Amino acid sequence: MTITRGVKSALESMMFIWGDLLSVNDAAQILNITKAETVSAFEELKEEYEKEKRGLRLRRVEDSYQFVTPIENADYIERLCRPVKKRRLSQSALEVLAIIAYRQPVTRGEIDQVRGIRSDRVVDGLIKKKLIEEKGRSEGVGRPILYGTTANFLKTFGYASLAELPAISDFAEDPDTEVEAAALYEDGVMTNQISFAEVAEGNTSGKEKA
Amino acid sequence: MAYKVILDNFEGPFDLLVYLIENARMSIYDIRVAEITEQYMAYMEVMEQADAAVSSDFLVLAAELIDLKSKMLLPRLHTEGEDDFKEDPRRDLVERILEYKQFKAVSQMLAEREARFRYVLEKPREDILAYTASPKEELIADDAQFVRAFHRFLQRRKRLGEIRRRYESSERKRITAEARRAFILRLFQEKPGRHLSFEDLVEDKDDAYDVALSFSSLMEMIRERKLSAVQAVPFGTIDVTAGEEIRTEGEDDHDDHTRREVRA
Repeated sequence: MTITRGVKSALESMMFIWGDLLSVNDAAQILNITKAETVSAFEELKEEYEKEKRGLRLRRVEDSYQFVTPIENADYIERLCRPVKKRRLSQSALEVLAIIAYRQPVTRGEIDQVRGIRSDRVVDGLIKKKLIEEKGRSEGVGRPILYGTTANFLKTFGYASLAELPAISDFAEDPDTEVEAAALYEDGVMTNQISFAEVAEGNTSGKEKA
Repeated sequence: MAYKVILDNFEGPFDLLVYLIENARMSIYDIRVAEITEQYMAYMEVMEQADAAVSSDFLVLAAELIDLKSKMLLPRLHTEGEDDFKEDPRRDLVERILEYKQFKAVSQMLAEREARFRYVLEKPREDILAYTASPKEELIADDAQFVRAFHRFLQRRKRLGEIRRRYESSERKRITAEARRAFILRLFQEKPGRHLSFEDLVEDKDDAYDVALSFSSLMEMIRERKLSAVQAVPFGTIDVTAGEEIRTEGEDDHDDHTRREVRA
């Protein structure tokens, strides 16, 4: 299946004019070719631009592609037109985003549960920044709103799709500590027990604090 | 125990707890609850003294820690014949801490990625109206029509301007209910025998807000029997006179229903 030059050329023109994400479906329809052929064409273009280190690159977000600038040219662009600088996300915003990204769809209550703190304002802020959006309602009591990430989220963090997110297990505790820790547990039960001395100590401080 | 004064705020109670645990070089899997609870409570006190608002979420975890501490002091029960299964009361908390730590690590990863990918720029969607077929719009009107249309436009703008100005001015000199009351009362207190119409009580008859305010003040003062009013015919003039209680000052002056009920 050879992709004609004409197809790739057409895709380049369309992406240039459109600017924003161009969906594979739309492109296929316009060019009167199959979806598979369209994807191949896009991917070939992507490779070419990268290999030749061109000033434009292709970025995939879900089922769409667009032209973007390579990181190394950001400086020149800034000098040219001072693009609007997005404010860095706060630590709490990133935490909430992390929870939503890996647990979606998820309710505000579930988010609060993990963080141990109310996250209302942070969630609202993320909605405003279009990093998360409503994805329906939970079946539970009160039918709370479920939240998930947006295409903008993928763009911001450089992922083509949610599948590209690293596995959550990658972020678990240090393996060394885990092995040590595992030794302390036997069938989910701590083998260490509190000594009477520790209990006595705990007791005194308890009295003082009360 | 000396406490290092932490200048950064903690993201939440778990953030603080994790910090305390790591600072004490405890293993997450073997937390000395009594010790960590004491440190946590002490830290909360430091925060309060430093005038940092201690949100209720911190207090919730404090309560949980204290509860856990007491559970740890109880002897672990196990019945004869059953599995020697001692459920560690810390287990739930440990799991939650581990979960939190996981997401905290994720958030750090996201921060790094965001810093990197913010330099990948896209061109926003173009305004491509120039390329879409749009019908030519021509103005088909004779001079007279055009002038009339323009005249209407000017009138409308003038009206809008007036409305805007009135709104702004009434916003600025928002007369309070108290001021209105005082004004009306004074009118009758100076000359107790006088008769005034409702219109006389309103300062700016064109201002709807003023009229409404004056009317509601009048109603209230009638209820308090400071004023009396008569309307001979429907929609006729409202004749206002001083009431019995015109001179009495006191708690009744304030619209304080609770106090009123107590007095009654």
